[in-house]
Amino acid sequence: MFQVVIGIGILLVVLILFMLFRIGTLLDVVKGSNQKVVTKSNKVNAALFVVLLVIGFGWIFIYSYVYFDDYNLPLASEHGVETDYMFWVTMAITGVVFLITHILLFIFPIRYSYEENKRALFFPENHKLELIWTIVPAVVLSVLIFKGLQVWGDITSKAPEDAEVVEVMGQQFAWTPRYPGSDNRLGDFDYRLIGDDNKMGVDFTDDGSYDDFIPREIHLPKGKPVLFKIRARDVIHSVYAPHFRVKMDAVPGMPTSFHFVPTKTTAEMRVETGNAEFNYELACAEICGRGHFAMRMIIVVDTPEEYEKWKSEQTSLVAQNEILFNLVPDDKKELAKVKGKVKTEVAAVESSEEVKK
Amino acid sequence: MNTQLHIMEEPKKTFTIHPKKFAMWLFITTVVMIFASLTSAYIVRQAEGNWLIFELPKILWVNSGIILFSSIFMHWAYVSAKNDNTKNVKIGIGAVAILGFTFLIGQVMAWGDLVNSNIFLVGNPSGSFVYVLTGLHSIHLVGGLIFLLIVLKSTIKLKVHSKNMAQIEMCTTFWHFLGGLWLYLFIFLLLYR
Amino acid sequence: MSTEDTMHNNEHDHDHHGNFWTTYVFSTDHKMIAKQFLISGIIWALLGGALSVIFRLQLGFPDMDLSWLKPVLGEWIDIQGKLDPEFYLALVTMHGTIMVFFVLTAGLSGTFSNFLIPLQIGARDMASGFMNMLSYWFFFTSSTIMFISLFLETGPASGGWVIYPPLSALPQAMSGSGLGMTMWLVAMALFIVSTLLGGINYITTIINMRTDGMSFTKLPLTIWAFFLTAIIGLLSFPVLLSAALLLIFDRSFGTSFYLSEIYIGGEALPNTGGSPILFQHLFWFLGHPEVYIVLLPSLGITSEIIATNSRKPIFGYRAMIGSMLGIAILSFVVWAHHMFVTGMNPFLGSIFTLLTLIIAIPSAVKVFNYLTTLWKGNLIFTPAMLFSIGLVSYFISGGLTGLFMGNSAIDIQIHDTYFIVAHFHLVMGSAAFFGMLAGVYHWFPKMFGRMMDAKLGYIHFWFTFIGVYLIFFPMHYIGIAGFPRRYYSWTNFDTFNGFTDLNMFVSIAAIFTFVAQFIFLFNFFYSMFKGRRATANPWKSTTLEWTTPVDPGHGNWPGDIPKVYRWPYDLGKPVNDEYAAKFSDEEMKNVPDFIPQNIPFSKTPETNFPNENELIALEDEDDKAIEVK
Ligand code: HEM
Ligand SMILES: [Cu+2]
Ligand SMILES: [Cu+2]
Repeated sequence: MFQVVIGIGILLVVLILFMLFRIGTLLDVVKGSNQKVVTKSNKVNAALFVVLLVIGFGWIFIYSYVYFDDYNLPLASEHGVETDYMFWVTMAITGVVFLITHILLFIFPIRYSYEENKRALFFPENHKLELIWTIVPAVVLSVLIFKGLQVWGDITSKAPEDAEVVEVMGQQFAWTPRYPGSDNRLGDFDYRLIGDDNKMGVDFTDDGSYDDFIPREIHLPKGKPVLFKIRARDVIHSVYAPHFRVKMDAVPGMPTSFHFVPTKTTAEMRVETGNAEFNYELACAEICGRGHFAMRMIIVVDTPEEYEKWKSEQTSLVAQNEILFNLVPDDKKELAKVKGKVKTEVAAVESSEEVKK
Repeated sequence: MNTQLHIMEEPKKTFTIHPKKFAMWLFITTVVMIFASLTSAYIVRQAEGNWLIFELPKILWVNSGIILFSSIFMHWAYVSAKNDNTKNVKIGIGAVAILGFTFLIGQVMAWGDLVNSNIFLVGNPSGSFVYVLTGLHSIHLVGGLIFLLIVLKSTIKLKVHSKNMAQIEMCTTFWHFLGGLWLYLFIFLLLYR
Repeated sequence: MSTEDTMHNNEHDHDHHGNFWTTYVFSTDHKMIAKQFLISGIIWALLGGALSVIFRLQLGFPDMDLSWLKPVLGEWIDIQGKLDPEFYLALVTMHGTIMVFFVLTAGLSGTFSNFLIPLQIGARDMASGFMNMLSYWFFFTSSTIMFISLFLETGPASGGWVIYPPLSALPQAMSGSGLGMTMWLVAMALFIVSTLLGGINYITTIINMRTDGMSFTKLPLTIWAFFLTAIIGLLSFPVLLSAALLLIFDRSFGTSFYLSEIYIGGEALPNTGGSPILFQHLFWFLGHPEVYIVLLPSLGITSEIIATNSRKPIFGYRAMIGSMLGIAILSFVVWAHHMFVTGMNPFLGSIFTLLTLIIAIPSAVKVFNYLTTLWKGNLIFTPAMLFSIGLVSYFISGGLTGLFMGNSAIDIQIHDTYFIVAHFHLVMGSAAFFGMLAGVYHWFPKMFGRMMDAKLGYIHFWFTFIGVYLIFFPMHYIGIAGFPRRYYSWTNFDTFNGFTDLNMFVSIAAIFTFVAQFIFLFNFFYSMFKGRRATANPWKSTTLEWTTPVDPGHGNWPGDIPKVYRWPYDLGKPVNDEYAAKFSDEEMKNVPDFIPQNIPFSKTPETNFPNENELIALEDEDDKAIEVK
């Protein structure tokens, strides 16, 4: 019933609009205004550009000024300072160009709108002008590029030797981090070893893997270089940590990496943003399937001391899950026990607890 | 005011090329782009490592000879058409068609050789690329063969002669192009193992 | 010749002239094929727009009950009335594919290249009418397949319009990568064939069939734009075909061109040694030129319209050609700027940053030339002119954001966020759309012999112009705040969980803008049958198409094809000193402010420049020479 009424209402509105339109066109014919080159509409259209210019730019400026902080994502990495600076410099330059070109584009219509007895200026070419506006953008762009390439070079340079290594693996639809443990060496992996228990395909014949651990959150030390070693299990994902200005694709079969220095702990950030709930987050930035929008992982930045403490509290993979421990070749089981701090009896219990959680 | 203008020209006849021949060259351009992109992909992929190296089948040398040889016949047929020697045109085109067909059989035999040496379509991309490149070239060659047959038919109907060269000219161009394309692919595959 | 011409005169008696099928369906007449492309493009645009409205509803009103869409979307709306997240991706994917390829490539180039090339260069038809017809019907078949794929039970392709493998290669990864993706690939292969057939035809026609005197330096900028567009297409679409071919092999025959070391659906796949990045290189080698394939025709169209309605020549005709050439060439060497964060070699990243920012220079030149053309003009705001100015505005705002992303260091943060979405919708989507709309308003009289209603055109323009800015300007802000694109919802993240209001605002603006397009639709179809009758040259324009009768029949000109004596922009040409001295005011006023290309200099002594007077003698001889023949 209700829908029918709405339907009839819409129909009536459309009909009325149509009638108005018919009457309008008929009137035009009667008045003969359809014969003229231009009608009053010409001035109206021209004026509307000016109106739009004023309202549009007014709105943009006021809104940007008032809500600036809402959109300016808090920053917590060293290279982010550089890229953000460049971003805002580019914003300033392009903003000015945007403003000037639009003032011209929207003022010209009213300034030069049609007049019956006027003749436009015949002005087909002027090499000097053309040269100027080829060279000026070229120079400005060169400056931007020069700075940009320098920063890009730093960001993509080789990671420092002492960087904290974290392996981050994307899969549909979650992230899994792996830490190298006390030996600072990630054990090898092979995608054919992946299974329900060994979800990263860690190769447990490799000594380096015995103290590796997979935490539920990523922890990073403040002020120390961190190296993300990135890979994917199934399709392409993209490691995106917005507050650190970090983004790097996770590609199956082709490991990538990104290194950066976190500059603020989570606690400091909570103070800065005035949000006691604040957390750094890791998101996925490359379409990867139905759960693409939900690949969240929390990143915690600790002070170096807290970080070391946290690391020492983590349980290694072999200690966590007996099945994984059993993958270790017999002659290396002792080594694995020592390196992975396996308490043989409780290992099984802990892993079942793990499952419950 | 600026009065310096472009220089005016007279309404003289505009420069033209035979539209069909020109369109054919454009078509050849697209085919070139396809193979250029595939061979670039080959190089890019090869540079990433994990690349299986294997011997190309020896028969490809023979096939290359065959296709070169067929181009000579094609040229002969073309010259004969220019001299209105219909009989030779027919013989020439027939020979080209037979050689082209032999080439195709040779390519299939090459695939057989690859299979015998355990290089399959499915497997390391280095092998897959060889199949795709040769296969795609063969498909174009089949197109060339059909074109040949069409020209042969026109020749039998006495429609190919010195006053009516467009069709056979296009066919010749295309056939030489296919030969050249094959040589490019072959040399490419030899160089980038 | 002359008998043929008289036959054309009788075209309207339509007794001897083909039946319904050969006239309207399997027509080989370039004007009819253009209209077929136009109507198909409009239908696709509506569909693509409707898809975007659905996913904008999801983004702007995440809690909305969408049960009322169940009759259309069926299983994709669950019991609670929620849109399926995977279908959300399908919508985004199909929206992108439809808009980029079916509307702004086929609908735009297909319409205006077909319609204008023969008319503006002075030819009776395309080089091959048959190939032209084939081109349309390949497009039609492709469209049909793509359309049917929308209704598959497993959904259409859903991996984004860029269809990156492995996602698009593995049905285990998402259901849209099954049959939907297969149909996408088949449809695109046919589409590429259609584009290549069209392109070959356009280039051949422009090179070979120009009328006497129509040298390359006298071609209207529209034709230059179509010409370069066709060349770009000819060089880049085959590459997409290669990319698709290898993808088809990976999907259907088990090869490993793009697949390597994948564990999915509980099993490790045997493929090793493939490279997903390889696909991206191949795709963007087409993908970037493609964006110019979309934009250049629009730029050509607006150059023409802005000059005509400013009543003065386009400023820097040669610079315009030069910048288009520059863009065309550079567009082939910047593709990897879409791949800065794929783990590609950083040095390559630097090279592509450099090349990308260079391409901004010819773009800037074009903008300044447009502005200078408006400067001191005598501006008439037809709807076409308004849309052209709108295009310039979008081209500026979208092009400027390119400078952020072209800079690889800045791009790290904004890649795949809404900043990108804002960028390309302004610079490519909206600008190209505006060019297309401007073209329709401008050439409608030549297409259908009637005028579109100007008032409705104004309303349509202002609603759309403002609407588009309301949609896409806020997206910059959301992008700066870090929102990733192709997200079904942002509520999972604290970082992105703000701005519900802004998203709602954007969605409302999108719906508003979509609805406003019905004004155009009404105007278009109404005017087609009931519009005011057009005159032969309603905009007082100089190019050859306006020298045809109101309703050009088969063969375009009833008599001989006009010859060309001058460039296409003799608008507002001043009276020279010699005549100014002796002309009365009245006479001065009566000097027309436009001189069509087919008027010899000998007929316009009052406006000739000295160097042009020198050409007159030659003209006469030439005419005689032809007569003698
Ligand atoms: C002023 C010159 C321009 C520059 C410097 C530029 C730069 C860029 C860059 C670097 C990207 C990749 C961003 C990313 O994904 O992170 C991009 C994306 C894009 N650009 Fe531009 N652009 C320019 C003009 C244009 C024009 C004129 C068009 C269209 C006609 C266009 C269409 C696109 C499209 C469609 C995308 C996104 C594709 C996608 O990821 O889905 N751009 N642009
Ligand atoms: Cu994802
Ligand atoms: Cu691009």
